[in-house]
Amino acid sequence: MEYNFRFPKDLYADVRIEESESLWLGMENGELKNDGESAEIGAMVRVFDGNLWYTATTNSLEEIQGQLDALAQMATPNPKIADERIVKEFEVHQEERFLYSGENDLRKVSRAKWKEIMDGYVEKCADPEDPDVSFWFCGVSGRHLIKRFYSSKGAKIAWDRQQCNLNFFYGFTVNGVTNYGGKGYTTMTVPELLGHEAEILEKKAQYLDYAKNAVDITPGDYECVLAPFVTAMFTHESFGHKSEADFMLNDKTLREEWVMGKKVGSEKVSICDMGDLPNHGYVPYDDEGTKAGKIYLMKDGILTGRLHDANSASIMGEAKTGNARAQDYHFQPIVRMTNTYMEAGKDNPEDMIAGVKDGIYVVDVNNGTGNSTFVMNPSLCYRIRDGKICEPVRVHMITGSVFQTLFDIEGVGTDFELFDTYNCGKMGQGVNVSAGGPSIHVKRLAFN
Amino acid sequence: MMKAKDTWAQNKSIFSYEEGKLHSFSKESNYETSHKVYQDGIVGIHYHIGKVDDEEGYRKAEENLVRQRPYPFTLETGTRARDKREKVLPDAELRKLADGCMQYLRETYPRFRFQAKFTGTEYDRRTENDLGMDYRTQDYAVGVSVSYKHEDSKNIADGYFDFNMRTFEEAVFRQMADDYLAKHEVKAELPEDLIFNMKYYSMTGYLANLLNAEELARGTSLLTGKIGEKLFADDFTLTHVVSDQEAWFNPFWDGDGCVLPNDELVLIENGVIKTGFADKKTAKQYGVPHTGPAYHDFSDIPGPGGLSVQVKRSEKTVKELLGGRPCVVPVNFTSSGFNEKGEMTLVIQHSLLYDGEKIVGSLPEFKVAANIFDVFGKDFIGVGSDRPIYYDKSLLFHVNKVS
Repeated sequence: MEYNFRFPKDLYADVRIEESESLWLGMENGELKNDGESAEIGAMVRVFDGNLWYTATTNSLEEIQGQLDALAQMATPNPKIADERIVKEFEVHQEERFLYSGENDLRKVSRAKWKEIMDGYVEKCADPEDPDVSFWFCGVSGRHLIKRFYSSKGAKIAWDRQQCNLNFFYGFTVNGVTNYGGKGYTTMTVPELLGHEAEILEKKAQYLDYAKNAVDITPGDYECVLAPFVTAMFTHESFGHKSEADFMLNDKTLREEWVMGKKVGSEKVSICDMGDLPNHGYVPYDDEGTKAGKIYLMKDGILTGRLHDANSASIMGEAKTGNARAQDYHFQPIVRMTNTYMEAGKDNPEDMIAGVKDGIYVVDVNNGTGNSTFVMNPSLCYRIRDGKICEPVRVHMITGSVFQTLFDIEGVGTDFELFDTYNCGKMGQGVNVSAGGPSIHVKRLAFN
Repeated sequence: MMKAKDTWAQNKSIFSYEEGKLHSFSKESNYETSHKVYQDGIVGIHYHIGKVDDEEGYRKAEENLVRQRPYPFTLETGTRARDKREKVLPDAELRKLADGCMQYLRETYPRFRFQAKFTGTEYDRRTENDLGMDYRTQDYAVGVSVSYKHEDSKNIADGYFDFNMRTFEEAVFRQMADDYLAKHEVKAELPEDLIFNMKYYSMTGYLANLLNAEELARGTSLLTGKIGEKLFADDFTLTHVVSDQEAWFNPFWDGDGCVLPNDELVLIENGVIKTGFADKKTAKQYGVPHTGPAYHDFSDIPGPGGLSVQVKRSEKTVKELLGGRPCVVPVNFTSSGFNEKGEMTLVIQHSLLYDGEKIVGSLPEFKVAANIFDVFGKDFIGVGSDRPIYYDKSLLFHVNKVS
């Protein structure tokens, strides 16, 4: 479907339309707990007069033209709008890129099939007689989204994305205390959700062992090895957010701190962002119509790039990167990560663990935040003694200085993985991202 | 066959400022509808984002009876309309107020960079059914959020403050800005006896969820088997209150259509756990009393939740509760969240020292540990009768610094 709009004269305007269909099913301790679906169409209309942005949202496609006209009435016509710094930056592409319109379109999968997938996992991974399990939950869900972007400069873009989710979590109650753990998957197609039973049961065993045997950590600084899932979050939180250019515009202190060519980490570390990978952070065109690509944010420990929207790129005189993203049509785009990862290194992960005399192996993490001090909240850690993985340890929080920790990376593993289960929050907006990395060996982090 | 309809409407006007200057003006109009039909203990639901006519909505809900979602309960009845709106601002007036506030920030604190939003939100929520039930609540508030960074700082942001107000007062904004910014560059020392002054919603939310009847029955709550026991401080009382004036955009009825006597449910009284909370389905499933609340679900059947809890306020002000001791106001901090044992660690990257009357200065980064049973038990000092710093309830409690 293509739309034609009458864009106002002497103003810049764009329209972003989102059509989505979602469904979800969840079973908890044998009861069908969640069974829902939704369909949504919405649009954000923006008008810019060189001074202010005027925006409106609507759930009715019939109202878009009226919204455009109404916003144009509020704005001040500007015959030189095409010469405005940011307007000159906006790219003009015309493309339809539908990856999920054929057999892999999740909308063609019946509700009964989704339920069959969930029931299959329940049958194999939930045992009602298991005395160790006080709670279990299995959920599947899917969302298909089509985004369309039109601008007064002539952009006409349409693309789609979808995501399928499987989550299987357990609660283990030991001496009145319940520990939760399990495994979640986000895939791009429904068939990729199948066949994970063994991994789920392995994770169940790890968390049961943790529930029964974890000991409280003695707070302090520890040498550590981060598993790929944790490196992925570390990369996102410790460095990714510092690469978002919108926080340093016209800020002398930060621009001097993050000057291109500066050594900001170990020469073993290279970090990229790549929006057109068909993963959870897939954004082939951002929400300003800029085409995405691959950018090295750090190459061999040297700062080589940062993430931009049209505004930050034009102010800093750097190339646009296609990282202007909005949570959905209710929000204006801001600079965000997409698929962000630390590249694989040359070190053997097993050798990295074997080289630690007394430290911590961090396997799973729940969430994290990134400022000058970054924070990660782990869910599964083990003590390392004399190069051997020993008992599980209960850790509330891992912290480190962004400015120091990137230099403290002594080993970068060959076992790279990209994870599609991440979501990122910034300024009240949550977006899908992927994060990736290999195992890394860090000289020192603070554990509490 | 019985029918019911839920509607939710929210209109927003948003003025956004970047680097202290007006960047955009946005109008949002949101509307959601849930049509439900009940037949032989089953409910069919059609959830629609946007407006849909009733005939189509109920027809699609009827089609969804095939999903066999169970709801073997009698629908509620009753009529009540509550209007919490005080002064709805036209856009031009909201902009004038916002511009005035931002001008104050720029002129008074030129060494800071600001990002801010001023949002006027009008809310209208209604549930009707065939038994004549007609509940409706309306609300309006101006929400302000300001993120700031000092020009010499290497942080992405140094701090943040926000508040809601039904009738906007610029004097409140100025006082809050002064509290957060005036002493930012003044260094203060961390006191030995650490008392925190925080908004409490994340902690009361965690505690209240331990009283979810489903968790209690399964044995997965830290409070399983503890009903009737005194586990918290003598003067600690936790109540679910839907008529709290400092709760925003909340309905007074729950997802089962039930209204509580006096709009409240006492969960913990004077340190003693009085009850868990259960919606109709959970009460029936586990054979426990139905207390409410149930969360509102536009796309499925309700479950236990939708709490709006508050800690009973002391008759003393924050200053009186402090009794001459200073306290810490955390500004930029990250929590580990409560773990399985009810413990958490907080890393406080930026905080302020408050002497009960004024902010004294900024504190260095430090970490503390807390335990939910201690925060509302031996470490509990109280919730002041007034609302300095946050223009909201503030909880005072002792914490332990950790390395």
